[in-house]
Amino acid sequence: MTHIRFYGEGLPEFTRTKPLPGRLIVLEGTDGVGRSTQIALLREWVESKGYAVQSTGLKRSAVAGSGIKDAMRGHTLGILTANLFYATDMVDRLEKIILPALRAGFVVLTDRYIYSIVARALVRGVDPGWIRNVFGFALVPDAVFYLHADLPHLIPRVLNARGFDYWESGMDFLPNRDYYEAFVEYQSRLLAQFEALVEEYDFHRIDATQSIREVFQSLTVEIDQVLADMKPISPAEAERELSEALAESKSGRVK
Amino acid sequence: MARLPDGRALPGKLFIVEGIDGSGKSTQLDLLRKWLIGQGYCVAFSEWNSSPLVKATTKKGKKKQMLTPASFSLIHAADMADRLERQILPALRAGAIVLADRYIYTAFGRDVARGVPPNWVRKVYSFAVEPTVAFYFRVPLEESLRRILGGRPKLKYYEAGLDIGLSDDPYESFSLFQGRILDEYDKMVDEFGLTEIDATLPLVKQQEMVRELIAPLLSGALRVEPSAWREVLAKESVYGRYLDEVLPERSTP
Repeated sequence: MTHIRFYGEGLPEFTRTKPLPGRLIVLEGTDGVGRSTQIALLREWVESKGYAVQSTGLKRSAVAGSGIKDAMRGHTLGILTANLFYATDMVDRLEKIILPALRAGFVVLTDRYIYSIVARALVRGVDPGWIRNVFGFALVPDAVFYLHADLPHLIPRVLNARGFDYWESGMDFLPNRDYYEAFVEYQSRLLAQFEALVEEYDFHRIDATQSIREVFQSLTVEIDQVLADMKPISPAEAERELSEALAESKSGRVK
Repeated sequence: MARLPDGRALPGKLFIVEGIDGSGKSTQLDLLRKWLIGQGYCVAFSEWNSSPLVKATTKKGKKKQMLTPASFSLIHAADMADRLERQILPALRAGAIVLADRYIYTAFGRDVARGVPPNWVRKVYSFAVEPTVAFYFRVPLEESLRRILGGRPKLKYYEAGLDIGLSDDPYESFSLFQGRILDEYDKMVDEFGLTEIDATLPLVKQQEMVRELIAPLLSGALRVEPSAWREVLAKESVYGRYLDEVLPERSTP
C-alpha cells in the first residue's frame, strides 16, 4: 500500500487519506547508469508476477514534455525556468498518470523522480529550501532505488550510448569549454550531491557497476519485499479500475 | 528601489501593475511607458505569460484543457522565471526601468482562487525581484464585470475559471472566479504594500496619480542617448514612419 504522504504541502485539495492499493517504485541514478534497461526488465518481471504495471519518466507528460525538449534545444533555458518546467511535467504525470494508476492498484515504475531534478538544481546553486518547497507536492514513494556507479564505469557507457550531451555535461553553468572535462566535473558533483540526498530521501543503494543481470537480481530481491502483501490483479480488472480512476481525475482534480 | 530576494538593491526600477480583468491596468501601463520613453528613459516591458520558451506549452495546456490548479500554477511560474532570468533582471542590473503588466500577485490571486495553498505559491515565486512600486488598480466587481461582459465576449475556459467548477455557465463562473480573485487582491494590499489606485476615476486622473508617485523615484535610472541616426537623417530631411521600426523608439524632440 502506498501511504498518502507528501514531501511538503502536497497537491492542492487532495483530500484522500486512505492508502492507495498500488505501489510507487522509483529508479534513480546519474546519466548512463542503466536505469531504462532495468525498468524495461522489471516491467516484464512485475507483469509476469501477475501485477499491472504503469511506467513513466521525466519529460513524458502530455502537457510539458515536448515543451521542455524544445526549450532545452536552444541552450538558453535558465535554471529556475528549467526547474519549474520540470515541476510542471512532474505534477502533470503525478495527477494524470501516477495517482490514477496507484488508485487502480498498479505497480508504477518510474525512471527518475524528483531527486534527479533536486540534485541537478543543487549543484547549480539553487536555494535548497526553494527547490524542496516547489516539489512539496510530490508523493513519497514506496521505495527509491539509487543505482550507483563511479565515473570510470559511467564514461564508456555514456560514450557508447550517445556521447556527451550539453546539459549532462553541465555546459550551461560550468566554466569548462571542453565537453569531456565538463562531463567529468559535472557528473562528479552530481554523484556527490546524490550521496548527500541518500538519507534524506531514504534511497536503497544498488551497486550498478555489476552486470545488468546482477543489478536486475539485486532489484528483484528488494522489490519482492515491496510487493509482498500485494494481491495480483487480472488485466481486465486493472483496466476497469484504471478507467474509473482516470474518469475521476479527468475533472482535473484527483481528490 | 527594486530588490533581489536577499535584500540587495538593484540599480534599475521595477514598476508593475495589477488588478482584475477590466481594471484598466494595461492602458495605464501603456500610457506610463510612452511618457517615460518621451522623458528619455531606457524602458523595458514584460507581459504576463509571454516567455518565448514557455508560452507555447501554456497555450497548449489551456487549449486542450489539460491544466490542473497545480500545473497551471507551475507553468506560469516557469514563464515568470524565464522572463525574470533573461529579460527583467538583466535590464534592472543595467539600471533600466522595467514595466511589468501583471506580476507575481496575479499568480497569488488566481492560483489561490483555484485552491492552491497560499504559502506554497508564495514560496514558489520567492525568486522574484521586489518591485519599486506595485500598483493595484482596484475596481469594484460589478464595474469590471460590466466592462468585460458588456460586449458578451466568448470567455475562455480558464479565464472564466470553468476548470474549478464554480458554475457551468461561463458568465456566472467568470463572475464568481473574479470575485474570489478580488478578495485575494484585497488581502494582498497590506501583505505586500501594494499601492492602490481607484480604477473608477477618469483615465487621465489615474495616470496623473501614477506619474506623481513614480516621478520622485526615477533619479539615476538609465537614459537612452538621443538617437544620432535620427538626427543625422532629420538634417537631411529624411523622415519616414518605417524608420521607427529600425531606430530606437524615442519621442520626437
